[in-house]
Amino acid sequence: MTSKQTLSDWRASALQLEQQINRVVVGQQVAVRNLLIAVFARGHVLLEGQVGVGKTTLLRAVAQGLGGQYQRIEGTIDLMPADLIYYTYLNNEGRPCVDPGPLLKQGEQLSVFFFNEINRARPQVHSLLLRVMAERSIGAFNREYRMPHIQVFADRNRVEKEETFELPAAARDRFFMEITIDTPGDDAVLDDLMFNPRYHDVDALIGEMAASQIPYYQLNDWAAGIQHSIQPTPALRKYALDLWKATADPLAFGIKLSDVEMDHLLQAGASPRGISYLIRAAKVRAWLENRDSLLPEDLQAVYAVTMSHRIFLNPIYSYRKDELIPTLIDSILNQIAAP
Amino acid sequence: MQALQRIRLSLALVIVTMLLAACSGASNRALRDFQVQTPRPFGYVIGDTIRHRILIETRSGMALERNSLPAQGRLNRWLQLNEISISEQDGGDGKQYQIELLYQQFYAPLEVKELSIPGFALRFRQHGQTLEQPVAPWPFTVAPLRELVVRQDQHGEYMRPDQAPSLLNDRAIVQRVFMALFVAISIVLRLAWLYGYLPGLPQRSVFKRAQRKLQNLGLQQLSQALGALHAAFNGLHGKPVFLHKLAEFYQSHPEYRSIADELAWFFDYSNRYFFGDASTMPQENDLQKIKTVCLHCREIERGSR
Repeated sequence: MTSKQTLSDWRASALQLEQQINRVVVGQQVAVRNLLIAVFARGHVLLEGQVGVGKTTLLRAVAQGLGGQYQRIEGTIDLMPADLIYYTYLNNEGRPCVDPGPLLKQGEQLSVFFFNEINRARPQVHSLLLRVMAERSIGAFNREYRMPHIQVFADRNRVEKEETFELPAAARDRFFMEITIDTPGDDAVLDDLMFNPRYHDVDALIGEMAASQIPYYQLNDWAAGIQHSIQPTPALRKYALDLWKATADPLAFGIKLSDVEMDHLLQAGASPRGISYLIRAAKVRAWLENRDSLLPEDLQAVYAVTMSHRIFLNPIYSYRKDELIPTLIDSILNQIAAP
Repeated sequence: MQALQRIRLSLALVIVTMLLAACSGASNRALRDFQVQTPRPFGYVIGDTIRHRILIETRSGMALERNSLPAQGRLNRWLQLNEISISEQDGGDGKQYQIELLYQQFYAPLEVKELSIPGFALRFRQHGQTLEQPVAPWPFTVAPLRELVVRQDQHGEYMRPDQAPSLLNDRAIVQRVFMALFVAISIVLRLAWLYGYLPGLPQRSVFKRAQRKLQNLGLQQLSQALGALHAAFNGLHGKPVFLHKLAEFYQSHPEYRSIADELAWFFDYSNRYFFGDASTMPQENDLQKIKTVCLHCREIERGSR
């Protein structure tokens, strides 16, 4: 069991990191908090949003804050799984060489792996990524490479649908969170973004961040410590169970959406993995809020980001996905009482 | 010559006499006008009233002696003077009197019969001298109300039924009754709503029900007590109320803002009890505080706070 003092020290470092990121990426406090939760719950994150709202900058800032090695790759339509694992070239002596690709190059030191525009990559690449995300290992060159500290950050933009491949359900489920990044709404922030030359050079902006206080290679231990330090009570377990069941059978909890036949709305609710992610995220949030008890508000705070992409609508309703899923999530949170 | 003088003297006498006669004409009479106005002299039955009016115009200086009028009250066996009023007005160089007399006769004749209201003498006084003016008796006929021989049915009762009484005009009263009824019913409905007796609107009585549940709960059933109050809040708000969503709750129910501190305590306490570590043992005091919160909520619900 990790001592309270250690947990408190960790929290201080975590909040400091959050502050630094918020200075680089302004007006995204909610998204930054969610990213921080994902980092300390050791979950992979998919960012979604409009073009140019700072998704990549945000991920780079997080990577910088965490330290360790990081790699990034741009998703393109001709990207193949092999491109992630190795690359071939002719060396100075004219001899063909094969070197490890982005995923393998850093070995166990790889802490952050960016996947830009993930939906532009082919399903073959997605499936490779599935294994990396789920098992943090990959088989190549006749042996298994382990990357125990890897955290995958992917982003995709919502504007274009041409030449993109929708992520399969299995791939989406392996993402711990799906965070939506919107343009900030505050006029002062927008003004700052428009006129402050500080934001012109992203490298310099990221360089402003102080060196990390958080050793990436200890993050797994931290996460385990956090998870063990917080024990939910029976009342909360009951509440979480209700929240889970409601994703599969909203009607049983009296949830009705307008203009929807609730019997036919859902194809599948949240998976056991998904609900365990929810609890992990909630515990991290409770820790960040300096509490050693898990409250319903923790579950509610992370419910949307961890559940939205795990609820699968029937095809007949999927074209209204953007409208129905948030409404459904809201209704679930507004319908289920605790205690 | 003497004869001429005698003729002149007698002529002058004649002229003076004629002049005197002209001057002393009608205007010199003590009563310039005297009228007795009476109604029809026939067709009266027992109990009828008869109004006489006497109009008098006198020379100035003449005063009516009021005790020369008949006294109010019974005049004889069948006649009564109900009312007597005298109005006096100065006019020109004299006085005008108007005397109203209201008689009522109680004679029950067996057939048409002539009766007479007795006359009297009005007296006027001037410079110690008295002038009398008689008011003549006034004859009139009275008729019986029914036939001499009473027709009776086999039960010995007079067959003619009584006239149905005419109804009073009660429109205004009925209107007021309906208005009062409307007001009363509205008040009853409002009270019923406040007290939560209306089955269709149960949200006004959520805390009443919670209070009833809380009454019988002891410290052992603290979770039920908290649950009951939570259920009340959730029912009132239409969705679950949490500590971190109290602001939202106050937005839709601003009246509860007045006990914000108590509510914050309650939700925090509940969080600690249900989700916190079990190290803090509940105390009797806590249950009492929960009941107080419920009581205050109930008062707000009833509108008495």
